[in-house]
Amino acid sequence: MSTYIIRRLLYTIPIVFGVLLLTFVLFTLVGGDISIEIAGKGATQETIDEIREEYGLNKPLFLSWDSQFVNHFKNALTFNFGRARDREPVIDKIKRGLGPSLALTVPIFFGVVIISVSLALVVAFVRGTVWDILAAVICVAGMSIPYLGFILFGQYFLAYKWGLFPVFFSPELTTAQYVALPVLIGIAAGLGRNLRFFRTVMLDEMRNDYVRTAFAKGLTTRRVLFKHVLKNAMIPIITRVVLAIPFLFLGSLLLERFFGIPGLGYLMAEAIGSRDYFVISAMTYISALLFVVFNLITDICYSLVDPRVSLE
Amino acid sequence: MSESQQLIKKEPPKGRGLWKDGARSLRRRKPAMFCFGVLTLYFLLAGFIYLAEFFDWRIGPTLWAEQAGQSYAPPSSKNIFGTDIFGQSVLRKTLYGTKISITVALCASLISITIGVPLGAVAGYFRGFVDEIIVWIYSTLSSVPYILLILAFAVVLRDRTLFGYKLTGITAVYLAIGLTSWVGICRLIRGEVIKHKGREYILAAISYGCNRRRIIFRHLLPNVFHLVIIDFSLRFVAFIHAEVILSFLGLGETERPSWGAMINDARIELSRGVWWQMAAATAAIFFLSLALNIFGDALRDSLDPKLRIQ
Amino acid sequence: MKSVSIIFITALLTTSGCNDSGSVEEPNEMVLHHVLSAKIKGLDPGNMRDVYSVIVASQMFEPLYQYHFLKRPYELVPLLAEDMPQISDDLLTYTIKIKKGVYFQDDPCFGSPRSFGLRSKTAGGSVPNGKGRELKAEDFVFSLKRIANIKYLSQNWSIFDNKIDGLDEFREYTKTRKSEADVDYSRQVQGLTTPDDYTLVIKLKKPWPQLCMALADTSTAPVAKEAVDYYGRDIISHPVGTGPFRLNVWRRGSYIELVRNQAFRGELYPSSGEPGDAEAGYLDDAGKPIPFADRVVWTVIEERQPAWLLFLQGKVDATVIPKDNFDEVMGGTGELTPAMKQRNIHLKTFKDPSTYWLGFNMAPVSTFAESTGVFGKNKPLRRAISYAIDREKFIELFFNNRHLVAHGLIPPVMPSYNPEIKEKGYAQYDPEKAQELLKEAEKIHGGKLPTLKITLPGTNTWYRQYGQLLKRNLSAVGLEVETEYMDRPTYLEKVNTKSIQMFTSGSSASTPDAQDFLAMFYSRYRAPGPNKFNYSNPEFDELYEKAQAMLDGPEKHRLYRKMELIVLEDCPAAFLNHRVAYVLHHDWYKNYKPHAFAYGLSKYRRIDLAKRTAYKKLLKTIK
Repeated sequence: MSTYIIRRLLYTIPIVFGVLLLTFVLFTLVGGDISIEIAGKGATQETIDEIREEYGLNKPLFLSWDSQFVNHFKNALTFNFGRARDREPVIDKIKRGLGPSLALTVPIFFGVVIISVSLALVVAFVRGTVWDILAAVICVAGMSIPYLGFILFGQYFLAYKWGLFPVFFSPELTTAQYVALPVLIGIAAGLGRNLRFFRTVMLDEMRNDYVRTAFAKGLTTRRVLFKHVLKNAMIPIITRVVLAIPFLFLGSLLLERFFGIPGLGYLMAEAIGSRDYFVISAMTYISALLFVVFNLITDICYSLVDPRVSLE
Repeated sequence: MSESQQLIKKEPPKGRGLWKDGARSLRRRKPAMFCFGVLTLYFLLAGFIYLAEFFDWRIGPTLWAEQAGQSYAPPSSKNIFGTDIFGQSVLRKTLYGTKISITVALCASLISITIGVPLGAVAGYFRGFVDEIIVWIYSTLSSVPYILLILAFAVVLRDRTLFGYKLTGITAVYLAIGLTSWVGICRLIRGEVIKHKGREYILAAISYGCNRRRIIFRHLLPNVFHLVIIDFSLRFVAFIHAEVILSFLGLGETERPSWGAMINDARIELSRGVWWQMAAATAAIFFLSLALNIFGDALRDSLDPKLRIQ
Repeated sequence: MKSVSIIFITALLTTSGCNDSGSVEEPNEMVLHHVLSAKIKGLDPGNMRDVYSVIVASQMFEPLYQYHFLKRPYELVPLLAEDMPQISDDLLTYTIKIKKGVYFQDDPCFGSPRSFGLRSKTAGGSVPNGKGRELKAEDFVFSLKRIANIKYLSQNWSIFDNKIDGLDEFREYTKTRKSEADVDYSRQVQGLTTPDDYTLVIKLKKPWPQLCMALADTSTAPVAKEAVDYYGRDIISHPVGTGPFRLNVWRRGSYIELVRNQAFRGELYPSSGEPGDAEAGYLDDAGKPIPFADRVVWTVIEERQPAWLLFLQGKVDATVIPKDNFDEVMGGTGELTPAMKQRNIHLKTFKDPSTYWLGFNMAPVSTFAESTGVFGKNKPLRRAISYAIDREKFIELFFNNRHLVAHGLIPPVMPSYNPEIKEKGYAQYDPEKAQELLKEAEKIHGGKLPTLKITLPGTNTWYRQYGQLLKRNLSAVGLEVETEYMDRPTYLEKVNTKSIQMFTSGSSASTPDAQDFLAMFYSRYRAPGPNKFNYSNPEFDELYEKAQAMLDGPEKHRLYRKMELIVLEDCPAAFLNHRVAYVLHHDWYKNYKPHAFAYGLSKYRRIDLAKRTAYKKLLKTIK
């Protein structure tokens, strides 16, 4: 087991390296000269040169020990993310945004998972009946509405017209207050595709021979579902659920933008708009790390749950 | 003995192959065929607009820029979906938007299939070092959140020249989506190729000296191609929705109407009570996505070899 | 399943306990509530990079001079200076006396050296405050040297570039240093001397009549060296000023709160103004000690709608009218609707000294773009485009008819504005004339005109519609146009490298002198300088240089108007509109008189607490 873990961890190194390389190439080589923007409107050439010097932009890109890429790499490894364009340390921005983002994504995540899995079970129960078809129809319909549609609709009717929720984030609101509507919208928008997935998994599982045998033996649907099907269906369910966790940290870009929630998604959207390379690369790096770690966890869970899967 | 001879003499039932079976099964599903009809309509509309622009026909959707009424006129008998800020007909804009959305989704799908399928096949077939490299590339890409990757690519690709062809906003979007979405199909194909590699028919081909390229292209790929079709139909929806999100984030088609831009405009329009632009664009997307989803599902059910037995 | 639900509920409960608001308000405290529509970048006066930062910082930092709050035409009066400066006959030496008894706010940076190790990272930290020391003339010298320090990367250096004797040499010296902290500020600059603790002498290289206006800019406010040494880079979140307010809370990106500076030396509300002020109630508080408010609060809300709603709920004191709610607020007659009057909301209209335009890049071909050189030699083309734009329709659709058509370059608020500029007819909408001129343009170009490109600095709906409007106007006269949208940084880069053809931009004056506008057409200031048009006209340049040395007065204004006419005739840009702000404020928000140039006006505002509480009851009856 431990050798497997060590091997997997070793595997992650080239991936992390790949991510660093990717962010570097994208934003440095291809992204253009940001020193002009930092210098501002009336800046003279000398200020621009000075900025280049300070940010190390005048160093060679790859081929020296002190090259920009090497520095980028070193900084990432030591988690030294430097300061963003407005001179605030990047790490502080991330710390600040983490709270609101999690307050948004965690409830959505739990809401979607709990509701979809439960509904999927119910649907498996009543499979073939009109309820099943109705559920399928609602799922597909839900998946067909663009995400923005949910947001606009929800914000307009529930907040603006009927005043049930605050339209926008305000510092004087408690977290629960300003998060309520976005969470509702997030769950509604995410239910369709997740329910469909879980339903498909359940139904696929139910088509197996051992299920037919169980029914032939005279077991009730209930027992079959909970004792047998659920456990076997757990594998794809767990995979999907656990792999979704790293993305919780990034907040929801759209929901945060629309509702003004000062989370990491908002930070990210802004950083891209203002070419804040420091923030973008820091966040990409962190999310990649998380993703890789959770992949490993998923594989371990996999092996624990399914005896057929051996760790080789 | 004559009995067994008779049995042997009788023609074995004709196998019709996956595709014919699939098509037949599909045709039987009424809702799916209806959706197929809807899809055809959308595609024909897009095609029509292309033709109209090429031949400069001034009809319907190509006249979207014409002033059809007062600024922000609500839906009426004159303009079924009302007008926008410049008095342009929302109906015409919505129809025109079909071209953009279908083009984006089509191009992005083609790009991702063109990259993903060969890479997946090569990785799955050759394994070893080549496989490691390809897996490394797509693992790296998938570690970065999707929207972020698209955004980054699109922002960075904007305004660059590629092979002498200047990249406009919307082209950058197709490329960005395509370049980041090939991972899924690649993984899929790779998995299937690995599975099929051990099958007898491949071993047989190798044993009679078939060269590798023929094996991959003439034997393997056709057997996994149905997955590509299914993936294509499901991806299509995702790409259309991605265009909407990218519009919101400031990328995408700016010169001409697109559904994403219309929904984006709706943000400020709603507070004035102007709901018709958003409703029209959302409806257009909804019906297209619905049709694609239902059809895609049916397609998958029809082409799934496991289900053929039933 | 059950355990999962428990976790879910717990998560919700714990997060709901987190209250993100600022301090709790006392019932009798006077608090001003404002909204900022963008995040502020920092509170360090030497490097003010955006107007929002200035809005907040100006309440805490005081420069030598300020504009009189009430008097019009706009007049400079002393703030930290004792009096207006004594100017030598050759107009090169300014002697300014500093007020005595001005103190910096209390702050840990003035504390005992022992507390230096416990540097507080958050504003209003728990480290014991040192007593703020008295302001000396040397502090002004330090601030200006700091701006000159190239390692400090101040954006405000352009104000002083090549103006003060010895300061540019000081800047050269700082280039040789390794870092910002490495610079020796005790190095002498002969243009900035302090014969005694309360006297500042500035020696200029050549006459600079706008010096006093520059000294009214928040960026020239004195900064304590102790603060710079103590806080280093974190000084942007630790402002230490002499003004009536001090920073209490700054939640980056969402919320800023200032409180009354107990160590403020005191100032009095002006006792005189312009005719009409007394009737308007602006002199009700004449002679009283300011500031009135105990606290000033800004919430950052980038979207208009939520800010508007907060205003209606009485949680914000004043706001601009969002474009999409205009009809709700203003009836067709130009008066407030009954719904607004019911709430005792007041309207103030205010001409912003700004001009917006569609500019042409007149430089010859640059290596980046195709056919940039189209506009340089083709005056009929430029004039045609100007005639093709329907400015009135533009203002109607986009600005609810509020703004004024820009007939010229200089905005109406400025003393040098030419009241007869409309008659010159440069802003007329005349598509036929445009088409005639286009025929000439084709001849000059030597063939059919190529597709022209307009570049806009934004990608949101507003800019897209703006671009569409311009495109429609130009296509209507037969031009082929495409638009491209990009974010600000890319836009700036392209403009500075001369890679665009047409661009939309605008400017707002920061002083009553129209020089800022005219500088944009001075050939020496070609991109990356402010002359983004890359316009060059020797006659204009000559007049510009002449005007630079003149003191303000009718002679100078005449020169400005002459320059304006030259620019209008040559048409390096199609001038579109001057902004007019429509501001709404509640009944209880007193002493709100819009000022075109001054910042730091929160000290004059007063809240009628009784009226504020009454509003809440009023709201209930309206619902």
